[in-house]
Amino acid sequence: MRVLYIDTSSCYLYSAIAEEDKILDSVAEEYGQNLSEVALPRIVEMFNKNNLSPTDVDKIIVVNGPGSFTGIRIGITIAKVYAWSLNIPITTITSLEAMATSSKEEKHHVPMINARRGYVYAAIYDKEGNVIHKPEHLKWDDLKKEIDQLEDKEIISNDEFDWEIEKNPYNPDFSKIINTYKEKESINPHLVNPDYLKLTEAEEKI
Amino acid sequence: MKDMYILGIESSCDETSVSIVKNGTEEIATIISSQIDVHKQYGGVVPEIASRHHVKNITIVLEECLEKANMTMDQIDAIAITYGPGLIGSLLIGLEAAKTLAFIYNKPLIPVHHIAGHIYANSLVKPLTFPLLAVVVSGGHTELVLMKDHYQFEKIGGTLDDAIGECYDKVARVIGLEYPGGPKIDKLAQEGNDTYKLPIPLQDDSYNFSFSGLKSAVINLSHNEEQRGEEIRKADLATSFQKVAVESITSKVRKAIQELGIKNVIVAGGVAANNGLRTAMQSLTEELGVELSIPPMKYCTDNGTMIAAAGYFAYLNGRVSDLNLNSKSQDTLK
Repeated sequence: MRVLYIDTSSCYLYSAIAEEDKILDSVAEEYGQNLSEVALPRIVEMFNKNNLSPTDVDKIIVVNGPGSFTGIRIGITIAKVYAWSLNIPITTITSLEAMATSSKEEKHHVPMINARRGYVYAAIYDKEGNVIHKPEHLKWDDLKKEIDQLEDKEIISNDEFDWEIEKNPYNPDFSKIINTYKEKESINPHLVNPDYLKLTEAEEKI
Repeated sequence: MKDMYILGIESSCDETSVSIVKNGTEEIATIISSQIDVHKQYGGVVPEIASRHHVKNITIVLEECLEKANMTMDQIDAIAITYGPGLIGSLLIGLEAAKTLAFIYNKPLIPVHHIAGHIYANSLVKPLTFPLLAVVVSGGHTELVLMKDHYQFEKIGGTLDDAIGECYDKVARVIGLEYPGGPKIDKLAQEGNDTYKLPIPLQDDSYNFSFSGLKSAVINLSHNEEQRGEEIRKADLATSFQKVAVESITSKVRKAIQELGIKNVIVAGGVAANNGLRTAMQSLTEELGVELSIPPMKYCTDNGTMIAAAGYFAYLNGRVSDLNLNSKSQDTLK
């Protein structure tokens, strides 16, 4: 079974191709503004280097957010068009799940993304990966009250914040992420869409 | 040469559209998913909301188009995509979809400028003859483009400020018409009399336009009438405004036809649907003995058909891109 993993929800492109338990190839690079230009070419390079054709993929796992709205849409569009055109099973996971799954610490995991103006996108998982607090767009002050109650915890984030926190950086463990989610139920590619966790400003005002 | 089927994708604003066109001239199937009702409540297109709808719609629109054409992706020879100009978040959805399809089916990827699409909407009606003058009029553009041959574009003039469609929508708002107000002004203008005095903008020696002064004149006029406690005669104001707006276009088109030996004038873009402009262009070209092409209404708004049509001629011109293609919110037609 070959799995293609795509996460473009941050300013990093994270992508990997796995064959059974082995990672054939992966990309983890910061791109920022030109993600839309390079995302697909970098993925195609992995195929070319490993002599794979697009039909050699049996499952696609794509991150559907939260994070950069534009970034999420780039990965989702590539993944859903790919899955739809070749009828390949596809499933989504959140960026926060990917972050928690990659952790090596035996603690509560608090993956966190800066949503600006004192807000964060975050979730809380226990050390077995069970959801304690589902992914949400919330005030840091409110999240802080909740995580202050937890004995052993780690905040996972690659973002900078306006407040002082102790955090561990996020380095994706592609093997662990893919193995954890490759059997997750597939969904219709038409229904593979971003989960922004936040309305647009125009919608909030109405 | 063997027949060439091009799949065109357009997502530069608030329409997700996919179309298949044969040899740049024959429409096989088109699907357009419009978001106009979504954006109505906000009084204009909200870019982030538009992007969110494009990503939801893209594979559905692709599938419906192939079903309508009764074709599979294997039968498509190339993929044409609007790379710009437009709303960047919206453009990116079509772009990533096009790049992914080009990769999966190993097909040529053809980048198409949105305005080239509007111009080539006409080649779905009849062949273009050169030298040609394209009058590009829409919510985002007011340009005169000279073409001496296929896919050779030379912008000879454009608006110095607002686009004509933008001006129509703003004037519509001033006189209390709902978004999108342009077509409503056109309709009202058929019912009124030209009783308001408005200045004809930019009567100079260039091929350029200016609409911000005209817009301000309408705002001031409406404001003054209000202060005097007089009600605006909406239909009359629409008539006077439309007359001036159309005249400012036709006067520059007349100049270009006479100075550049134009054989074929085409009107392209959303405002090509405007009846006042259509009528004025008809009488002008009849008077000067020049051929006029105006695309049917269905090709005037944004659609994938025109992108696939333009894509054919772009391909013949060697305009093919690799998968590093990126969207551009602004780009000059060349």
